[in-house]
Amino acid sequence: MFRNILLPTDGSPLSEAAMRKGIQFAKAIDARVTGFCVIPKLRYSSYESELAPEFKKQAAAAVLSEVNKNLLAIEKAAKEAGVACETVKETSDQPYEAIIEAAQKKQCDLIIMASHGRRGVQGVLLGSETQKVLTHSKIPVLVYR
Amino acid sequence: MFKHILLPTDGSPLSDTAVEKGIDFAKSIQAKVTGLCVVPKEYPTYYEAEIPGGFMDKAAEECKANAKVQLAALTKVAQGAEVACDVVLETTDQPYEAIIEVAEQKGCDLIMMASHGRRGVGALLLGSETQKVLTHSKIPVLVYR
Repeated sequence: MFRNILLPTDGSPLSEAAMRKGIQFAKAIDARVTGFCVIPKLRYSSYESELAPEFKKQAAAAVLSEVNKNLLAIEKAAKEAGVACETVKETSDQPYEAIIEAAQKKQCDLIIMASHGRRGVQGVLLGSETQKVLTHSKIPVLVYR
Repeated sequence: MFKHILLPTDGSPLSDTAVEKGIDFAKSIQAKVTGLCVVPKEYPTYYEAEIPGGFMDKAAEECKANAKVQLAALTKVAQGAEVACDVVLETTDQPYEAIIEVAEQKGCDLIMMASHGRRGVGALLLGSETQKVLTHSKIPVLVYR
């Protein structure tokens, strides 16, 4: 029924747990997965002009390396489970938009994500990006806590 | 992977679609389903004394009859798809609590529901009961639009 599952991750523990469950699920139903991670645009303060260009470069490189690490973790988990996997990263300020766009572009028919990510307040509210994906996605979303 | 799927319904068109997709999905992974319909408790209003005797009882009966029709329809779809099916009718004012309680009682490992039910506001917001189930459920929730 589901052929290609988008697994968005931000590298937080809950998101990683959802990713692993997503891979198990994909294996059980013989689907492939598309790992996805958003590269946040870096915003600096109004003192941006005072910041050393070297500092900005370092910050961007650190973020990118974190994103690559997250995607690598998906590839590794998928490979171990014998699930076909590709990974995508996209630069955006609106993770939920990037998630929905990636799902459409890659023709995913299901999105699996955690109820909370990095900014989560467990048990109180639904994570803000998950909430927005649920509100705007036309593709079914499976939410893991 | 998922063995027992809870399908809460309120008989709204979106919820009907989610039920159909839920049964298709259950069939594809050889899971069984439990259909759930929640009936609101009768409300004693401020003007209760002015309401003709027997009206509240009649309204409650109608709600129940309506829920039974919905659950019968669900059973029929499940039988048509050769999916093992059980139905539950609960009376409560907090549908989301009943949904989570029944899922736990029956040992469901997945809840599948529509993004909106009867009180849905199209693409603007996530339905209020779906939202509450997502916030409080420890069991994964698959949301269909």
